[in-house]
Amino acid sequence: MKDAFSTYHPAVNFCYFTLVLLFSMFFMHPVCLGLSLSCAFGYSVYLNGGKALRFNLYYLLPLLLVAALVNPAFNHEGATILAYLRSGNPLTLESIAYGLAAAVMLAAVICWFSCYNAVMTTDKFVYLFGRVIPALSLILSMTLRFVPRFKAQIKVVSDAQKCVGRDVATGSLRQRARHGLTILSIMITWSLENAIETADSMKSRGYGLPGRTAFAIYRFDRRDKRAFLFLALCGGYIITGWAFGGLYWRYFPTLKGAGPELYSVSLYLCYLALCIAPVVLNIREDRKWKAIQSGI
Amino acid sequence: MQDNPLFSANWALTSVVFLCLVIAAFFWSFERRHASTKVITLIATMAALAGVGRVPFAMIPGVQPTTFLVMITGYVFGSRAGFMVGALAALVSNFFLGQGPWTPWQMFTWGMSGFTAALLAGKDKKFKRRSFIILAAFWGYLFGWIMNIWHWVGFIYPLTWETFLATYLASFPFDTLHAVGNATFSLLFGKTFYNILERFRKKCSVTLSDLHSMDRSK
Repeated sequence: MKDAFSTYHPAVNFCYFTLVLLFSMFFMHPVCLGLSLSCAFGYSVYLNGGKALRFNLYYLLPLLLVAALVNPAFNHEGATILAYLRSGNPLTLESIAYGLAAAVMLAAVICWFSCYNAVMTTDKFVYLFGRVIPALSLILSMTLRFVPRFKAQIKVVSDAQKCVGRDVATGSLRQRARHGLTILSIMITWSLENAIETADSMKSRGYGLPGRTAFAIYRFDRRDKRAFLFLALCGGYIITGWAFGGLYWRYFPTLKGAGPELYSVSLYLCYLALCIAPVVLNIREDRKWKAIQSGI
Repeated sequence: MQDNPLFSANWALTSVVFLCLVIAAFFWSFERRHASTKVITLIATMAALAGVGRVPFAMIPGVQPTTFLVMITGYVFGSRAGFMVGALAALVSNFFLGQGPWTPWQMFTWGMSGFTAALLAGKDKKFKRRSFIILAAFWGYLFGWIMNIWHWVGFIYPLTWETFLATYLASFPFDTLHAVGNATFSLLFGKTFYNILERFRKKCSVTLSDLHSMDRSK
């Protein structure tokens, strides 16, 4: 994998995303929102390439616009009146600002989630929670494995049905529906039989017996310790800053909040450092790799 | 009004935390029972089927077989299995369709649809076709109504009756599609799927009681 942050210990990855997601949902300060969205956007493009860019443009941008437009149409609070709508309700600067902020918050959360999906693969999730919720994490990984398996099997079944003349693509609508139903019921029977066999196989291999351990390839080394320390320091500083009002912002009745004082700026910088950390790690890794290559 | 702490509370976050707690409570009660391998594979299978069923229908708004599959599982295998299958189907299908703040809401809503279907089944375990179809259609609407709450507290700032009604009116056509889809699936596949699952349930319980009698004879 190209991404350097993914090679860290799963606990580091998970803590990072929990922290960033919670902060993105909690802090409605415009600076925080802007930082969070731009870093999440950058990282998602780094991880998923052009696909993420297309998704963000086609899906997130309209969502952002709609959310930003809907809010002032319904919300008439705020002191700065810009104009009057046809219904006689005022259009206020504050409601537009809030609509934008809510939209940016949502977009940032969705962006961070797309990064989470790319970094926290299911094996990492099962490794982290396998001991706390063994049955559930097993079910989750089994379900995820069954999905591609069922997709392959449904193709096998429908091909076989095609050979005996029960093609879903030919015949009258009624016949097609009946063939589709046959395929579905074959499919569900097959998968339930498969479930019984899997269950028996698991039992005969000693599932649930005490004293069994799971193999994992992850190791918590010095690099992970440093990353953890960084997360704890940044997170701690930001949370204390938030508790002391350093990230305070209100939208109604007038826009007001923590401005560019030294203390607040230090909090913004800390937040930026936290959000941009994976991208920085990747850039550093790329540089190192290039330096070693040119050394050869 | 501005000083009211209820007004300034972050309702989107609060509701998500609350839902996560409800889901966690269900999951925890399942975890504590030390489920057998049969139950584990059954839940994983049905959740995968329900989750896969959602993906090809993603283009058509509202219509998908997931609700029907979750409900029939709950109907045959009981409330706990119904909830687990619904919650997992939502979680797993969102790995393909996209995770987001709506995931806990979908997990909760589909979980509850499986849960209530089990309540309908009652003791005699016969397939009550008409009531099942009615419940499935009702869940088409209820699903939309619960998801609307998310939309309402997440997107729209003034939480008033006016915006509430506007949200619900906007979603009405999609909810109707969902309800019609559910009723159609129940009408066409209800009896067949009930028979298949019921046969599987008997098969499982026969194997299990055989094991028990073997244990006793030792």
